[in-house]
Amino acid sequence: MTRVNTVLGTVPAAELGFVAIHEHIGYGMPGCELDSKWWKTPEERYNETVPKLRTFHENAQPWGAATFVDATGICNGRDLDYYKSLSAKTEVHIVASTGFVGGDTALPFFERASVEYLTDQFIHEIDVGIGSSGAKAGIIKVGVSRGFKMKDLDKRIYRAAARASKATGAPIFTHLAVDSGPALEIFAEEGLPCHRVLFGHADDGISQGRIDEQSLLDAGGRIGFDTFGYDLELPDPPFWGRKRQERLDHFLRYLNNGLIDQVLASADANCSPLGWPGVKGHTVNYLFDELLPDLRQAGIDDVMIDRLFARNPAEFLSLQPIADH
Amino acid sequence: MCTTHSRGSAEPVPPFTSLFLERPAKRDVAARNVNTVLGPVDADQLGVTLIGESLKYVLPGAEYAFDITIDRAEVFETLAAKLSAFKAAGGGTIVDATGMFMGRDLRLYESLSRETGVHIVATSGQGPESMLGGYFLTPQTNPPTPWPAQKFGELFGREVNEGMVVPRLERRATAGMICTAVTATGMTPTDSSLVRGASRAAATYGVPVYIRNGADAPAELALVLEETLPADRLVMGGMDRRDAVARGWPLALAQAGARVGIDHIGTEGSDFLTDAERGALITSLIGAGHADKIVLSSSATGVAFGEPGNDLPFTHILERFVPLLQAAGVSQEHIDQMLIANAAQLLAVTGDIQ
Repeated sequence: MTRVNTVLGTVPAAELGFVAIHEHIGYGMPGCELDSKWWKTPEERYNETVPKLRTFHENAQPWGAATFVDATGICNGRDLDYYKSLSAKTEVHIVASTGFVGGDTALPFFERASVEYLTDQFIHEIDVGIGSSGAKAGIIKVGVSRGFKMKDLDKRIYRAAARASKATGAPIFTHLAVDSGPALEIFAEEGLPCHRVLFGHADDGISQGRIDEQSLLDAGGRIGFDTFGYDLELPDPPFWGRKRQERLDHFLRYLNNGLIDQVLASADANCSPLGWPGVKGHTVNYLFDELLPDLRQAGIDDVMIDRLFARNPAEFLSLQPIADH
Repeated sequence: MCTTHSRGSAEPVPPFTSLFLERPAKRDVAARNVNTVLGPVDADQLGVTLIGESLKYVLPGAEYAFDITIDRAEVFETLAAKLSAFKAAGGGTIVDATGMFMGRDLRLYESLSRETGVHIVATSGQGPESMLGGYFLTPQTNPPTPWPAQKFGELFGREVNEGMVVPRLERRATAGMICTAVTATGMTPTDSSLVRGASRAAATYGVPVYIRNGADAPAELALVLEETLPADRLVMGGMDRRDAVARGWPLALAQAGARVGIDHIGTEGSDFLTDAERGALITSLIGAGHADKIVLSSSATGVAFGEPGNDLPFTHILERFVPLLQAAGVSQEHIDQMLIANAAQLLAVTGDIQ
């Protein structure tokens, strides 16, 4: 039996359909809620979000369903009751994450917490639920703080995530794939096989030249090409943007070299950003509007596309507890 | 977090600082108004005022902890009982000096004030650096430069001018004071931005600033003065810490015109004076002619989540400390001055009340 935690309950992996593995309903740095320059009414939020999710659902019909994995960790504006209402009304499966985008998004209470406490927090959110929402997290977010170097708090979060992943079977995805040495050490020490880890943002512009892709592959890790659409050709690209063709060629090198089972793709778009302007026009539907046509034109067939966006992410998201031996 | 997040050096002093902020909103300018959670109140109505307590304290992040439940009804009952006891002991006003990011709960405080008849003044501000969210320390820019003083000044100033935020929802009553704090081991560049921003907003909009003192009270005062905030609009907290007393700061700050916060009354130990020693300190400050500079509080935490509170009742000062002062020979006139007049003068939005 396969099980995946969505915000509306546990579903079989076969029901997920097309999966966008790293997205955001709305992301904001902790504290941005105090700055009214970013506030939007609930009407505006739903108006910005629902049409994107409905289109996502429609686009995914050939796969039977659409699944939106929300990568917004604790303290970043994660809002489970809102996600539940969105999922119920659009039929998009939403998988919420526990964990933190990085040490610099963990507020003082968690900054002071031990690895054991953080582990308990993550396990509780996966096995019991998040806050009073009743919704269970389906994946664990970890990440590297600003500066391209893992800080002590980042490492404690990675270690707690590894332990929680083994105990609950939920996979891990990372914000940034840079400075992966300490991460691989922690996962090895904790006995977590790296096929349970998606090393994210390996395709962004600012990380290029800072990622040891070979050691991630050798460890069995998965590589995230999950910022598709943040192109430098945009009128006002974000600082992590990259030339569109360069990113695509990078991705195609993996697909054309037999490494399709070690990559996953997504757009990292915000439906309605919480504490930053977002990138106008960039949505999860970039995957259908731009990426799939690009891939097909490059000779990637439907069988491979199914593996990339349905079969492999379903296998990744399925809860797979790992016993200590 | 303090050291890892600190980058860059302190900002230079801007001239005519108040011109950088939005013009104060037009409102009924009764010179003696204090901003409470239920709206402006005449400063004469405050009565006995504790200047630096916490009603609901939440260590940032604790609201997301899997094993912490904040039961609103229970919090209300606990706080209402404590406020009613304060009222029964002769108290009039509590200033929640917790700032904007450590559990401030405006709608709860409004209900508590209505229910108990105690005036509640809520405050803007945050700090020290280690208590800030990543939005202020590692913004989504390249490089992630921490917020400068001007942006903190705008953030805090809007809470005084337009109303305090209920995050992402609305603004409610205007803030009565701006509270910040400096890192105990020494001022970080972001702490400096917080102090400057708080002072800049206070100078523009007429509310006082409260600093939880770090490691160098005179240097912190100097920043406030550079921002054109008069010294008597500043409460320097922590002046009953042993290190502050050993370095002569209470007298030095009073001589410089600042308000001296004897603000841990009821807490004793290696870091703080005993209440008896506080009495002696107050007697000496009064003897030196500084009765008008002294403000009192316990830094009591009504309810606390995420780390232990201090279990001090809001009645400690009236029921335990005032008798101690009386026994030490402090006159009723001076006691009233410290507990009523100084606080009223400080909190009156123009600061003009005589």
